[in-house]
Amino acid sequence: MLAQEFEKAGLSTVTVTMMPYWAEKMGTPRTLAVEVPFGHAFGTPGDRDMQMSVVRAALALLEEAREPGATSEVEIEWPQPSDEARKDWQPSEPSPIIKMMREQAQARADAARSQEQ
Amino acid sequence: MPVDSFKYLPRSIAAYYQTLVVQKADPIPWTAFSKPLNECRVAAVTTAGIYNKDSDPPFDAEREKREPMWGDPTYRRIPRDVRRDQIGASHLHLNNRDMLADVNTVLPLQRLAEFESGGVIGSLAQTNYSFMGFQPNTTEWRERYGPEVAGLLKDEAVDAVLLAPA
Repeated sequence: MLAQEFEKAGLSTVTVTMMPYWAEKMGTPRTLAVEVPFGHAFGTPGDRDMQMSVVRAALALLEEAREPGATSEVEIEWPQPSDEARKDWQPSEPSPIIKMMREQAQARADAARSQEQ
Repeated sequence: MPVDSFKYLPRSIAAYYQTLVVQKADPIPWTAFSKPLNECRVAAVTTAGIYNKDSDPPFDAEREKREPMWGDPTYRRIPRDVRRDQIGASHLHLNNRDMLADVNTVLPLQRLAEFESGGVIGSLAQTNYSFMGFQPNTTEWRERYGPEVAGLLKDEAVDAVLLAPA
């Protein structure tokens, strides 16, 4: 959505995202999809080659895209097993909204339990 | 093989995302890329919630803790030569370890600087930008801060933006 605002203002944008699902749903001018955990759009810390390959692919899409909604992908190999990576990108403390949703779910479960009794 | 948007999402969050209804932009905004890349000024923008500790406060995580359905919609300037020890991170939904170890994981400033010295891009913008991506309500991004940063980028003669949601 920031991409939409920048593009409306006369800037050409390329969005590098791990959620092309979302970019497509919103209507994004140019989308480079990369299969990485959240918080790591350009790769792992210190991995210059991985970071360069993502940036290179993004610049290529900027040059080559001919119409709005253009997409491409860059293949990278994530060094962690998926299960580990799925946990590792998450914060050590649950975010406020996750905390709130869990508390609400717990309250509903408690209410249901006390109704049964 | 197509990129799996849900590969690294816990199942409950993936399920939640798939219920969200979004209005697709029609037409999709478009500014044709008309200059040769090696004459272009490129800026980078992230939503990873990073900031320059020497000049700016963090994003307002304390308010988000009090109001879990609110996310700080403001932005921070990140100079192209920011040092690792200057970077702070205030995103409550991400493990900030790796972006603090290497800002290029979310905002590839040194990588773009290398493309600049290699003559691939004309230049990297002096000022790049950081937003904080947890935005249940995107009105302020659309109506105020998005256009404001677009104006600032244009003031620095930026031609193209590499944007990376975190």
